[in-house]
Order: sequence, then C-alpha cells, then structure tokens
Amino acid sequence: MAEPLLSVQNLSVTYGVIRALHGVSMEVREGEIVCVIGANGAGKSTLLNAVMGVVRRESGEVIFDGKPLPRRSYQVVAQGVSLVPEGRRIFSPLTVHENLMIGAFPRKDMRQIEEDLEWVYGLFPRLQERKDQYAGTLSGGEQQMLAIGRALMSRPRLLLLDEPSLGLAPILIRDIFKELKRINGEGVTILLVEQNARQALMLSNRGYVLQTGRIVLQGRSQDLLVNPDVTAAYLGKLKK
Amino acid sequence: MGTLAQQLINGISLGSVYALIAVGYSLVYSILLFSNFAHGGFLVIGGYICYYTLTVLGNNIWVAGGLSLLGAGIAAVLTERIAYKPIRERTNITLYLLIASLGMSIVIENIFVIVAGGRFRALPPVIPTNPVHLFGLTTTSAFDLLSLVVAFVFLTGLQLFIVKSKWGLAIRAAAFDLKTAGLMGINVNLLISIVFFVAGMLAAVGGIFLSVRYTLYPQLGGITIKAFVAAVVGGLGSLPGAVVGSLILGLAEMLTAGFISSQLRDLVVFSLLVITLLVKPTGLFGKKPTEKV
Ligand SMILES: Nc1ncnc2c1ncn2[C@@H]1O[C@H](COP(=O)(O)OP(=O)(O)OP(=O)(O)O)[C@@H](O)[C@H]1O
Ligand SMILES: [Mg+2]
Repeated sequence: MAEPLLSVQNLSVTYGVIRALHGVSMEVREGEIVCVIGANGAGKSTLLNAVMGVVRRESGEVIFDGKPLPRRSYQVVAQGVSLVPEGRRIFSPLTVHENLMIGAFPRKDMRQIEEDLEWVYGLFPRLQERKDQYAGTLSGGEQQMLAIGRALMSRPRLLLLDEPSLGLAPILIRDIFKELKRINGEGVTILLVEQNARQALMLSNRGYVLQTGRIVLQGRSQDLLVNPDVTAAYLGKLKK
Repeated sequence: MGTLAQQLINGISLGSVYALIAVGYSLVYSILLFSNFAHGGFLVIGGYICYYTLTVLGNNIWVAGGLSLLGAGIAAVLTERIAYKPIRERTNITLYLLIASLGMSIVIENIFVIVAGGRFRALPPVIPTNPVHLFGLTTTSAFDLLSLVVAFVFLTGLQLFIVKSKWGLAIRAAAFDLKTAGLMGINVNLLISIVFFVAGMLAAVGGIFLSVRYTLYPQLGGITIKAFVAAVVGGLGSLPGAVVGSLILGLAEMLTAGFISSQLRDLVVFSLLVITLLVKPTGLFGKKPTEKV
C-alpha cells in the first residue's frame, strides 16, 4: 500500500498540567478527505495545531510525505501544509486581495501566484467582487471563504480545516462543503475537524472519532454515519 | 508674524524628529503590544556611533550616518533577541517585556556612562546650523529645515515599505494577529527582527538630530518619553497617529516656548498626555483595544 501523505503517530500534547492529546495516531492518504469529529474540548484544534507546529508536540511523530514535519509553522507551510484556523482569523484591516496575497507569502513565482489568485476567485466569485473591500466588512460566510482561499494561496498539498462550519447557517455550510469537495477534486488532500459530525461524515471518505484526547473509533465515513455509537453521541440532535 | 512663522517651522521640525522616534515605538508596539522603553537607548547608540565615526574617521556625515543607522538597527535586533525573545517565547504576558525593556534601557545608558563617560559632547559641525532667510518672510536655521527634510524622506520611505512591500504587508498582518501571521508561512522571528531593525534605524536618525540640537550624553534617550507621549496622543500602534501626534507635540512645545515661557513646554507636553488619556485613551488614530487571544 502506498505510504500515507500525512501520518500522525502516537502524538501527545500537554498544556501545563492538562494533557490534551494522549498518543493519537491517524493518517491521511493522498487525495482523500478525512474528518476528525469530536465534542467541545476533545482536542481537535490541538491536533491540527500540533501538526502545524503552533503548539509543541510533546512526544510522537508527524510524518508528511515520508519526512518528519518541521516544528515551526512557517517551515510546515513551506512543506505544503496549510491551516484554515478555527474562527477564520482573517486579517480584518487588510483588503480581501491582501489577505489572499498574505497566504502566498512564502512563494516567489509571481506568475503562478496570479494564476492561483484567479483559481481562488473562480472557486469563490464573491471574493472577487469584494477584492478591494476590507476583510472585516465581509459576512461570516464570506470570511470563511476568504480563510479557505487564503490557505489555498500557499498551494498546499494538504489542507487542514478547523471547524469551517462554525457559526454558519446550514445553507452556507452546504455551499462551503461543496466547494471543499471541488477543491479536493482539483488535487488537494483535505483533513477536516468538525463538531458538525453529520456534514463532515457526508463529505469525507474516512473519519476518526476523538474523545478527550484519544481516538476511540475510526472507519469509512459511510460506516460511521450508521454506527450506533456515533449516531447516539454525535448525530443524536440532528436525527429526524 | 515673523516669529509665529519661525516657531511654526521650528515646531514642525522638532515634531518631525519626534516622529522618527515615535513611529519606531509604535511599530514595535503594534506587533508585540508593549512599550519598548529601551527605544531611547537605540537613539543614544546611533548618536555615539555617529560621534565617534566623525571624530575618528573624519568629517564625512554620509559614512557616519550610515554606520550609525546600521549600528543602531543591529543593536535593536540584538536587544530583542537577547532580552525579549526568551520572554515572549515563554509567556503571553506583555508586562514582562515592558519590565525587560526598562532594564535594557538602564543597561544601555550605563554602558555609555562607563565607556564614553557622562559628559556632554557636541557633534563635529558637519550639519549646518546657520540661519536661513525664507522668502524674506522669516528666519529659521538650516538645521531645522534639514531635519524636517530628512525626517520627511525617512518617514516616506517607511510608509512605502509598509504599504508596498511584501514584508510591509506581513507586518500589517502581524500587527493585527501575530499568531495567525505565523500560519501564513511568515517567519515571525525574522519579522520581529526586521521591525526592530527599522525602529532602531529611525531612532538613530532622530538621535543624530537630537545630538546636534541638545548635544550628546548617555541620558539623551530620556527624550523618547516625548516621542512616547506623541505615540500615545496619536494612538499607540498607529503609524499615521505617531506622526500626527509628534507634530502636535513639537508645535505645542515650540509655540509655548516662543509665546509663553520656555519653562512651560514640558508641562504642556504632559498636559497633552493627560488630556488624551482622559478624553480619548486610544489616541487620535488608535483602534479600540480588540481582544487578542
Ligand atoms: N492554550 C491552552 N491552554 C490550556 N489548555 C488548553 C489550551 N488550549 C486547549 N486547551 C485544553 O485542551 C483541551 C482540548 O482543547 P481543543 O481546543 O483542542 O479542543 P477542541 O476539540 O478543538 O474543542 P472545540 O470544539 O471547542 O474547538 C481542552 O480541555 C482545552 O481546555
Ligand atoms: Mg477547536
């Protein structure tokens, strides 16, 4: 079997005395959409932040494309991994265009950057209409599109998303997830963490269930969607 | 009429020198959210490098100025690496950075007391200070005009760097959200070093002009308190604010000195600070302090 694109092995992270991840192992293969679902405080953001080097990895390994990922964020980005952070974190006093250009910061190929800008504007035409507007004036959904576009501007092989559905109306969530599918179709591997388990499982090929810092369940998303433990714990409220 | 015009020019000239110092202050504040009290030290380092280069290597202001800017820039970067980086990597509490900067300002000042001695030194007369008649309207000194022009050139350069360059964009992004800037592939430590280098360089330009105006001594850096007031009046973290605040301060000082009494000028400066803090604590151009998690 081909080597996975991202492989997290036995990863632990602590904040002071609180241990947020207890030996988490998971992998993402090239071309896949993988989701990690879990409740508040399960450690989803911690997992992505540890991959990005935002929080210190206490023990364990993170292997990307056969090599250990560096420990500093800017080096991780240079390797071809980028994160759409929780709560979007767009740069509100900068314009939409400037936000996208910041995403391309490590790159030098101006021609390619221009092409990718067109690509992102093609994915999210609403951003193009608002390209000279300050990002802080965008609606929540548009800000999420911008955060995704910004992460794509580094031309990642692996795109990490931390709860892209947070605070969005269901119809917008559907739009955003449709775009993610399209982005994946254009060759970007995706790892998504979500509380919105149903949507995430419907979008993804495989899923992991994270509970208080441990992976407690994993499998094909279509199987997880009908798994009684999952439906009881994570899909309960939404079930009709 | 002549006196008024003269005091206005002097005020703007003094204000523009404050602005060189205040923008460095504000630039550092905008990224790391603390007031760097060692900033005055950078100005003194610049002043002494200029002084010694002129006295040892001969009277070439271009060489002396260049070395002075470079040296103060490097000193600022080293100060950050030695005293601030270890702290900011361990904690988010900016109070520790502020205290470290107070410490560094004392260290720098005393290095010069020991190495150069406490006495007042006049720079060799490489910067003209002769009177100039402006269109027969008023008389001012060449020095005031020169400092105004030089400050204008450097501030314009800074503005172009911040607005047009790739690192300028990165600095604007980092000023809003440093942590997220790191996720964009920006080497945050390098960015902070660049910011300190620029701040140190601009402080050195201010230091050279202040050394000519007031002579050079190890405590000359104390004058940054006025640039600090200017930065607060304009709104900490805002570059246009720092410039406007500095011009207001320079004008207030010179008009007070010219028409009321020279002894009241510092009183006026600090009254401006108090009024700002009472009426609009965020300053003229300051943003509301937003939550930075
Ligand atoms: N900076 C921090 N300092 C201390 N504890 C933290 C920190 N960040 C997270 N934690 C703790 O680590 C655990 C995991 O947090 P994390 O943010 O990864 O959860 P999450 O699954 O992303 O939750 P949510 O769905 O609410 O975003 C929680 O118990 C949280 O309180
Ligand atoms: Mg989270």
